[in-house]
Amino acid sequence: MPHALIALILAALLTLPAGAHHGWGSYDAKNPVTVVGKIETSKFENPHVTLTVRASDRVWTVTLAPPSRMMTRGALENIVAVGNTISAYGYPSTRDANEMRAERITVAGKTYEMR
Amino acid sequence: MNMEAPALLVALEGSAFGDAIRQSVWLYPTANVAHVVGLALFAGAVGVMDLRILGAFAATTPANVIRPARAAAAAALVLMALSGSVLFTAEASHISLNPVFQLKAALVGLGITNALLVGPALRRALSDTPAYVPLPGRVRTAAAVSLAVWLTVAASGRLIAYF
Repeated sequence: MPHALIALILAALLTLPAGAHHGWGSYDAKNPVTVVGKIETSKFENPHVTLTVRASDRVWTVTLAPPSRMMTRGALENIVAVGNTISAYGYPSTRDANEMRAERITVAGKTYEMR
Repeated sequence: MNMEAPALLVALEGSAFGDAIRQSVWLYPTANVAHVVGLALFAGAVGVMDLRILGAFAATTPANVIRPARAAAAAALVLMALSGSVLFTAEASHISLNPVFQLKAALVGLGITNALLVGPALRRALSDTPAYVPLPGRVRTAAAVSLAVWLTVAASGRLIAYF
């Protein structure tokens, strides 16, 4: 009986659908980008602060650090507020052409490290 | 490539509870810490219990080791379920589509089912098995399955972020 149960669950696992998730392993560190533009949306939320930034080429989704780290680095909510101009250096996602993970950001001449 | 998450989970993520988790600076990290501390407690309790069932620490009376270890494992599992549901709610729609999360969730179900199914046989064995006497094969099989399943759950939990 337990063996039949295990076989059943293993069979169920094999039929699971493939998902689409932006994990942290999926950023291209060999081809860093610098995204410069105005912040259009800003979510100062866990697990990561995320912005959308209108750059010259496209609207980027910029993934930053968790809120607690942002705060200890001095990158408070008003620093990444909608309307501010930001420069974000980081790595483009290999799964979503419009997303990047920022290594550091510069706002109003001040640079904040995200790692 | 972009699959739709179940509407229920989209609603869960967008609920007031979901908003509160994401917007609080400390709630999410606190749940994260509770989850890993719960894992440490759970792994310790399950490890002691399963190793004893498999024949380690043979000089001890099985019931004296396994009963408290099983109770501690159950308590740690509750802590992990509570903290895990906080972490899950914050990103329910994305996480539910993550293949490693799906694997982990299925294995958690398997691990709990395995633990519950062996309960009666384990209780019978513990009532009359003295030190140095091996526990029944049925119970030892469940302990081996338990170790394998829970270690895989721990590994897949950590791997969710990379898929």
